[in-house]
Parts: sequence; structure tokens; C-alpha cells
Amino acid sequence: MTPFELAEPKTLNEAIALLDAEDPDVRPISGGTALMLMMKSGVFRPNRLVSLQRVEADYSRIQRGGDGTLRIGALASLSQIEHSGEVRQVAPVIEKTMRHLSNVRVRNVARLGGNLAHGDPHMDLPPVLSSLGAKAIVAGPSGQREIMIEELFSGYYETVLDRNELITFVDVPSQAGWSSVYFKCTTRSADDWPALGIACSLRVENGSIGDVRLMISAATEKLTRLVATEKVLRGQQASEALFERAGESAMAEAEVIDDSRGSASYKSELVRVYVKRALRQASVGATQS
Amino acid sequence: MSEHAKSISFELNGSKTEMLVETHENLVELLIRMNLNGARESCGQGLCGCCTVIVDGSAVSGCLYPAAFVDGKTVTTVEHLDNNVHLSPVQEAFIEEGAFQCGFCTSGFILMTHQLLEEKPKPTDEEIRDYLAGNLCRCAAYPEIIKAVKSAANKMARA
Amino acid sequence: MTIHSLMPAGQVGRSLPRLEARAKVTGRADYVHNLRLPGMLIAKVARATVAHGRIVSIDTSAARALKGVFAVYTGEDIRKHIPQPYYGPAFHDQPILALDKVRHVGEPVAVCLAEDAHIAERAAQLIEVEYEEMPAVFDEVEAMDSKAVVHDVLKPAGTFPDLKHLHGKKDTNIALDFHLKRGDVEGAFASAAHVFEHEFHTQQVMHTPLEPMVSAAEPTREGLTIHTASQSPSFVRIEISRLLGWPENKVQVKVPHLGGGFGAKLYIKLEALVAALALMTKRPVKWSLTMEEQFYTISKHATTFRIKSAVDADGKVTGRSCAVYWNGGAYADIGPRVTQKSGFTAPGPYDIDNVAIESYALYTNRPPAGALRGFGIPQLVWAYESHTDLIARGLNIDPVEFRRKNILREGRPQATGTAMKDAAIDLVLEKIAERMNWSAPFDRGTGTVLRGRGVGVGFKASISPTTSVAFVNIYADGSCALYMSTVDMGQGSDTAMAQIVAEVLNVQTENVRVIHPDTDVTPYDMATLGSRSTFHMGNAVKLAAEDAKQKLEAMARSVGVPENANIETREIFKKKYGMQAGNVMGVGSFIPTYKSPDSVTGMSDNITPFWMVGGTGVEIEVDTETGHVKLTKLINVADMGRPLNPNIVETQLSGAAIMQLGFTMFENMEYDAGQVTNASFADYKIPGIHDIPPDIENHIVLAEQGGGPFGAKGVGESATFGVSPAIANAIHDAVGVRLTDLPLTAESVLRGIRLKAGNPIGE
Repeated sequence: MTPFELAEPKTLNEAIALLDAEDPDVRPISGGTALMLMMKSGVFRPNRLVSLQRVEADYSRIQRGGDGTLRIGALASLSQIEHSGEVRQVAPVIEKTMRHLSNVRVRNVARLGGNLAHGDPHMDLPPVLSSLGAKAIVAGPSGQREIMIEELFSGYYETVLDRNELITFVDVPSQAGWSSVYFKCTTRSADDWPALGIACSLRVENGSIGDVRLMISAATEKLTRLVATEKVLRGQQASEALFERAGESAMAEAEVIDDSRGSASYKSELVRVYVKRALRQASVGATQS
Repeated sequence: MSEHAKSISFELNGSKTEMLVETHENLVELLIRMNLNGARESCGQGLCGCCTVIVDGSAVSGCLYPAAFVDGKTVTTVEHLDNNVHLSPVQEAFIEEGAFQCGFCTSGFILMTHQLLEEKPKPTDEEIRDYLAGNLCRCAAYPEIIKAVKSAANKMARA
Repeated sequence: MTIHSLMPAGQVGRSLPRLEARAKVTGRADYVHNLRLPGMLIAKVARATVAHGRIVSIDTSAARALKGVFAVYTGEDIRKHIPQPYYGPAFHDQPILALDKVRHVGEPVAVCLAEDAHIAERAAQLIEVEYEEMPAVFDEVEAMDSKAVVHDVLKPAGTFPDLKHLHGKKDTNIALDFHLKRGDVEGAFASAAHVFEHEFHTQQVMHTPLEPMVSAAEPTREGLTIHTASQSPSFVRIEISRLLGWPENKVQVKVPHLGGGFGAKLYIKLEALVAALALMTKRPVKWSLTMEEQFYTISKHATTFRIKSAVDADGKVTGRSCAVYWNGGAYADIGPRVTQKSGFTAPGPYDIDNVAIESYALYTNRPPAGALRGFGIPQLVWAYESHTDLIARGLNIDPVEFRRKNILREGRPQATGTAMKDAAIDLVLEKIAERMNWSAPFDRGTGTVLRGRGVGVGFKASISPTTSVAFVNIYADGSCALYMSTVDMGQGSDTAMAQIVAEVLNVQTENVRVIHPDTDVTPYDMATLGSRSTFHMGNAVKLAAEDAKQKLEAMARSVGVPENANIETREIFKKKYGMQAGNVMGVGSFIPTYKSPDSVTGMSDNITPFWMVGGTGVEIEVDTETGHVKLTKLINVADMGRPLNPNIVETQLSGAAIMQLGFTMFENMEYDAGQVTNASFADYKIPGIHDIPPDIENHIVLAEQGGGPFGAKGVGESATFGVSPAIANAIHDAVGVRLTDLPLTAESVLRGIRLKAGNPIGE
């Protein structure tokens, strides 16, 4: 690694002012686990890093709204979220996901905002949060905007964020009536980047799928919502046959890519199987709740 | 030292310390400069756990942790566990169960086990595996490590 | 768990913890990784970016211009100081830095030195090299007659007689061809009731010791001191002396603990460059590889194995022919030894009268391959135990029963003609069958989860003939120390050898000090490899301890102490020297007898001083929708003679089996045009704690090794042998799919299932 300036602003606004919309060699750093990897491998040689470690504590709080909503500060560490009672009450799927997300040390250091802004399609939280219908609150020099998590990613390691924008909070809507699961499928050692991530949230009303959000990650270039497959499901009687059909639909719909974790054709088979399994488990959860 | 170097102060193994660090220096590199060799960089990617260090009570991968970030914080390394006198129950259990071979990953496993038992004094097999999934042992002493964690839990429960 | 009794002094056979246990759990154990020397420079190398190419030019100007860079050198600079800068244990084929051409991606081309590692690293990135690319060869079978030739001329080192005929050979990639012929193979096939023929492949994998390879050299008044994470300090001294044209006594090689070795840190690796740099700069120089760089340095051979068997109507194998092709990469390292020493066991532990073996070491444009926990044996067992299972299934005979019918029993000749001795192959097989409850009905699973089970048994000869020397020094206060050059890299040799000393001298093992390898102090040892130390060094240590004991008894007699008198050792010294003074130095030197294979027939009646035997049984579950294989039970059994320290050897068994589990299920060096594309733990996955099965058993069969110290022999590799074929056999058992290539990925299993169902998955 080569020397760089480390700025340590005390407020979020100062941090935004220290970022540069035009300069790719200036970036924010929160936990730094992903950024350190890029710097060590020489992929990224910063001129300046703007540390978010000292900004206002508000951005690392987790709050539960009276209406069952959840607001997670973007600077909350992943382990803080993992162990939060508020998070567990609103969306237990997040805690379950955390248990197999990277490892304890990374979760202790990595922050939610950085995890999302990195744009890595193999991350577990983007499919989970987007299946919960969550949105990111983003601050920049000209104010604030809201972006649905499912619309945050524009490509492989690319997001719609400007270089001088920061994620400040993630808002999760009330999950009343919803059942959510996340399936992480690895194909080499048990602890690996997923070959496929499937997140599914659904409501069952009188035995039928009332509504559903179905997200795929890792096997595709970016986090993708399986819109056509959701249509296959909505309003239909929850059954093994329906889940089979949805699996077939997802297999046709998802644009799966090759990598060292498997060929595209193999991963398409995994999509079919894991969509079916995710729907099966989520619908059991919905019926029980 | 470059123009970007920063002066930091932190508590290291119970003693207040001040150091000048480079912004591109990681925590393991800083500890080596201070003659502490128990945290070791191996995979360099935070995946093997050989570089485990405790910062403000949480385990971190020293190889991915900027040294400058420990400013104002408390840092504990494996060398602090016995204070050169008495081994911790975890260290004793690792010896009794033969939970290591080459020993290169051992500091990391021992620090992580301390953290686990602080969070969960009576962990199940699954909880042990989930907690230690980010530590690799190429000698594959995993079966003995699992035994050692349970034995350490029993020792601590008795104490 | 042990079934052997303790020896009389209660030291051999005792399960005490490792002597260095406290240092390891407190983070204070000594590794070269930790070493810092005053005035030390850090070396970082620039590596080749093409697989095969002439070096047209190297531009080092930007690197030299970087602030803080002490020096930048290329191969030509090295050549000015060392006229013949080529090293290697079998061939003098590897340049200290590339000269004239590069032979694999990642080969060191130039080196940058700075006091700050970050600066040296940045400088290395600034080096620009222009290549004229040449055709490259990557596959071991293609290398047999490829137009791409990796080395213009073959340069055998002269150490091994069976390589001499290759001297000066041109236009070939064959670095050794071993042939063995016994009986009438053609006749056996002509009269066979059944003929089975298969081809198996193994992939290239890496040792990935968690302490990455590291060496440092410092100039001294006398010559050079080299601190190195090496499994072979004596060889390093000999090879550095040869390169420099110095006597051995000017080179000191020191080795503390190793953070894993597994064969990666053998012979000579980083030592030649740091030695050259220390002499050129007159300063201490340290070179530490990153995890990524290890993948460009040494690996385990990829192989192709064609095996064909003749079987009679009763299910007896009557003939077998084997052709094995070893992908040695760009530099021979110890590959030619693997080709011969493992090659002659290619037909497996079976009693077969008519055998033909061809085994070829091949140069290719991949990173070099050498020894990795088993010295080629796991690649062979993979093929012959998969093949054996296929024959049994083909004949509709139970796989264990088929093995019983054909197994090589005590006294029967092995392929080379050497009669089997102290090799409990049958006991190992029977123990596995017993622990697997093989004859009882087996639950085959239901729905999308099907269950299967399988076994695999293998054997290995010891590397021969090799020498070990040890000193046991009794000090005037009665305490003692063991001086030896065996390297403790985690296998527990310090402890086991101290137990031998303690048993002979009737003292507590904990009171025996083990002096770590330092060639100025500790005597010669061939190397810590191939599970040879327990037998070879163990014998040398026992001889040294017995020698010391006899000398002490003689000293007692000389000062008039009556036989069997109850007198403390320090009193004997006091009587002899009038005060606390003097030493008793016991010396032990051991080399077993051996007869090298006949150069035409490959036959020998004394091919090895001992045999290692290991086997594995597994139970698995296959997810028939995804191809995922889950190991539910792993049973490891070995014949290790009498275990010196049962607990430590048990961890050697499970450790070896779990390592081989990684090589079986997912480890694989992947390539794009000769470039390894997954040279990091993010993409090269090794087994973690979630990968080990819930049920692991390790068993030691009741055996004694004749000629071994207290009946012991080596065990570090034995549990690797059977793992891969046992799992493939279990997959076949569960879902009827036979895989012939490692690793056994979920994708390959699912493809097999779907192909069999007539519903194949597209490319």
C-alpha cells in the first residue's frame, strides 16, 4: 500500500464536503474491510480516504418505530445489527443471515452502509433487505434522497450513488403478515462466497400467495428482482406444484453468469431448486405466523 | 514516515501507548513494530484469523484494520492472556486437548474462543462451529479445537 | 485411543502434550515469520506475466527512482556474482531469477529491496518487462510429445544415479521415465475372463501452509547465516555452498518452528535468492511470500493415470498395467523422485503376478510441482482404489470382499519383487470394515437425499536410502539435550524424539531439551519429509541416547562406581572431573539398507526399509437436486507400528484426512492461459470447521515395525491415502454416478445424476 491522506471529520456534512464527485481516488471509509482488500491488492490507490469513524453517533443507532418499522443507521456494524433485539423483532431473517455472513471479525468491523455501497453482487444483505422492501436514505451536497435497495445497484460492483453521496440510514417497513427467508448456496467449502443467494418474502392469505418479493444475487451480475416469477405466484394457491412452476420460471428469468463457483447452466439448476425451497419454507413460516 | 503519518494514543494490553503510524499501515504491522508477534498476517484477507486482535472488546482481523483506527481505543493481543504467569482456562484446554499442531493459527483460535465464551458461556456444537468458521487451521485440528472449546467452557463454569 | 502398552520407562507410548505447547498458546513460539534483524532489507519480486517467453528487456528505472528503494536486481545481476545460478534437488534447472526466458506465469524476474516492505512492493509493481511469447504446454499428456519444449537442455543434478542418462538431452519435456515389468502382462490380458480399463485425473493443488514461505540471510564474518522456514536445513546448506563454491562450514542454516510445511518448504526455495542478495548488498535480507505468491512457487502434481486390469473368472486380478503422467510444471523440484518412488506402487496393495508400470515426470509451463503430504501416493490411490471399486461392481462382488480376495499379504511380493514385511494392509482393511459395520444393512436414504458408503486403502514405500544423525548431550548436572536437524512443523517430532531419549535414559520427557536445527550445531539430516523422521531420525536418536548411556556407564565404571549403584548422574561427573564439569556426548547415525530398482526391469528385492499403510471409510449423503455431497462419517485407520505418542499421532491421522478432504472436494488451482486465477483464500477454498464431518474416528492397528525405534514408523501421510477414492466410491454407491476427475464438485455430481437420468444439463 502507498501513503494517502486520512481525513477524520466530526460530522457527516463535513465528510460529504471532503468527498469529491469527480475524483475516483477519494473515497469514504467506515469499517474498511472491503476497501483494505482493494488497497492491499493494488486495485485501489487512494489520494484521500474520508473516515466516517468520528461522525455523529446518530448514524450508528438502530431504532424501532411504533408502527413496526425499523431505522438502521448506516454506520451500525453488522454485529450490532445481528445482536439487536429491535432487528430481531421486526425481521428475524436478518439475524439468521448474519450468522453465516462472512465471519465474526468482519461483522464486528464492517458497517451496513459500506456493505451496501460496495456494490458486490455476492453480498447477503442486499437480497435480504430488498426482499423486506427496505430503502436507503442517501445524503449528498444538495440534500437527501431515498433509493429502494433493489434499485441501488447498477452493475457489477456499481451503484447509482454519486461519489460524494453517503448512505445515512436504511429504513425497513413493517413486516406484519410477511414471512421471509434467505438461502445462501455455496458450492466449494461451506464457508465461501455464495454461488447463489435467494431471498424471498411473502404473505399467504387464505392459502394463496397474497404478495411476494423474490430476489436473486451472486449468480447474477447484480442484485435482481424476479418480477416475472413473482407474477406466476401472486394470487395462486400455495402448493408444491406452484413452487415447482415458480422454480422453472425463475430459471428462465434469471440471467445467470459463469464463474469459478459453477457454470451458468449448473447455477440455473440451483436457481430452480433454491427458489422452490425458499418458497416452500417461507410459505410454511407464513402459515405458522 | 510519510507526510500523512498520524500520532495516535491507545491502550495496549493494559498500558497507555502513543505511536506514530502511517495511514497505510495495518494493525498487525503496528504490533510487530511493538515486538508483539502473536497476531500474524497469513492469508491477508481476513479469512484465516491468524491476525485476530481484540479492539474495544471485539475481535477484528488485524490485517484488514487500519492502525490509525485504534486511536483512542483499547487493544488486547494474545500475549495479554497469561501476563507471563497463569494460562487462561482456554489456553489450558487447548494444551490438554492437543488443539493445535504447527501453532501458527492458535493465537487467533484462542482469542476467538475467549470472545465466544464471553458471549455464550455454554455454546452448542453448532454455535462453536458458526463462531469459529472464520478461522482456518491447515493442520486441521478442528475436532480437537471443538473439544477444547467445550472443555474451556466447563473450566470457566466451575471457576 | 491406543491398544499398545507403554514401554518400560513409561515415556514411549505416553500421550504427553507437545513440549512447545505453552509457547504456542501464548503466541510466543518462534517462527522465521517473526524474525527482524538490525539493518534488514525487505525483498519483493516482480513476477512473469506470460507462461513461456523470451525476455526481450527489463526496465527497472521507475522502480530504482522510487524514494526509499535500496536496490533493484535482475537475473543478469545475480549471474555476475554466481556464474551458474541454477538450483534444484533433482535437476539444476531453476534460475535464482529468470535468465533469458520465463517458463511459467509468476516466475521471479526481478527483485526490489527497501527497508520498508510497502516501498519494496510498490517498486516491484513498477518494473516493466517485455517478452517475446513462445508456445506453451500445460497438460501432462500433451507434454509427452509437444513442440513447446520447456527446457532447451536437461541438466540432472548428479545426485541420483537413475537421472544420469538424461544429461544433455534436448527436445524433450520428459524429466524421468520409470519402467517396471514383472511376469507376463500380455499373457495375463490374453487369457483374462474380464478386462477393465479406466483413466483418472487429479488436479493441481497447493499446500498453503499458514506461515507463508519465508527466508532471511545475513552476511557474517565467516560467511552467511540463513534463517529459513525450511523442512531441510542440511540440504539448504549443501545447495547454497555448491552455488557459492564455498565449503559447507561457511554456511549456517537455522530453523525454528514452522507454521506448517506439508512438503512446500522442502529442499531449496527462497534461500538461494536471499543468500545472493545478502552477499550483493552486504546487509541482512528477508523475503516473505504472500499467500498468493505461494501458488506460483510450489504445488502438488496434477496427474493422468491410465490403469488396465486382467481378472480371472474367480475375481482374482491376474495382470495390471499402469501408465502415470505427472505434471511437474516448469521446474523439476523433486518431481522425478515422486515419479519413481511412488510410481512403483501404482498397481496398489494387491497381489498381482503380472505387472507393467510406466511413470513419466513431465515439464510443463505451470508453476512447479513437488512433494505434498504423500509424495504422489494420494494421486495413485485415487486411481487404483476407484478402479478396484469399479471392477468389484462390474463383477457384482462386494467391494470389501473383492479387496480381501486380492489384497497383498505379509510375505508376498510387491510389484518390484520386494516381499511385504510389517505392512498390516489386511488389518487396516478389516478395521475399516468393522468400524463401518460393513456387513450390516445400510440406510440408503429417501427422496432427494440418498446415502452411500465407500472405502479406500493405500500404501507407500519410504524414501530410500537416506541418512539421519543425532547427538544426545548429557550435561554435568545430569540434564540432557537432543541435537537434531529434524524440523518440527507441527507433526510433533520434538516431543516424539524427546520421548525416545527419555525412554532410553529413563528420565522424564519434559526434561529433555530439544535443540532446533542449526547446521553449526545440529548434525546432518536428509530432510523432514515423506514420514521418514520417526523411523530414520528415531533410530539415530535412539542410537545416540544408547551411546550416551553406555559412555556414562563407562565413565561411572572408570571412577569406581559399582554396577547398578543408585547414584545420581551429576555425582558421576563430579567424581570424574572434581566439580560440575564435562559432557557425555552420544552420537547416533542411521542409514537403512536398500537396493535401487534395476534400470531395465524396475525390480528390487529391498525397495524400502518400511511400508506405510492407511485406509479410509466414509458415509455420505447426496442431495440429488443440487449434487451437494455431505460427509457424515469419516473413519481413518493406519498401521504406524507402535505409536510413540498416541494422542499426537491421532491428530496426524485426522489432520491428514481433512487436508485430503479439501483436495478431494473443492481445492483446485484454476488457470487462464497459464495464469492461476484463484491464488487466494477468497477463491481457493481450504477446509474450514463447517467442512468436517460430525463423526470422525481414528484407529491405530496393533502392529510393530521391525527395525523401527521401539517398533515405530512414520504416519504423517498415511491417512491421506484412502480419502478421495472412498468418497468417489460412496458417491457411486449412493447415486450410481462414477466420477474420474478430482475435485468431486457438486456440479460434476449433479451432471452425472442428470446424464444418467437421460436429462443432461447443458454446457
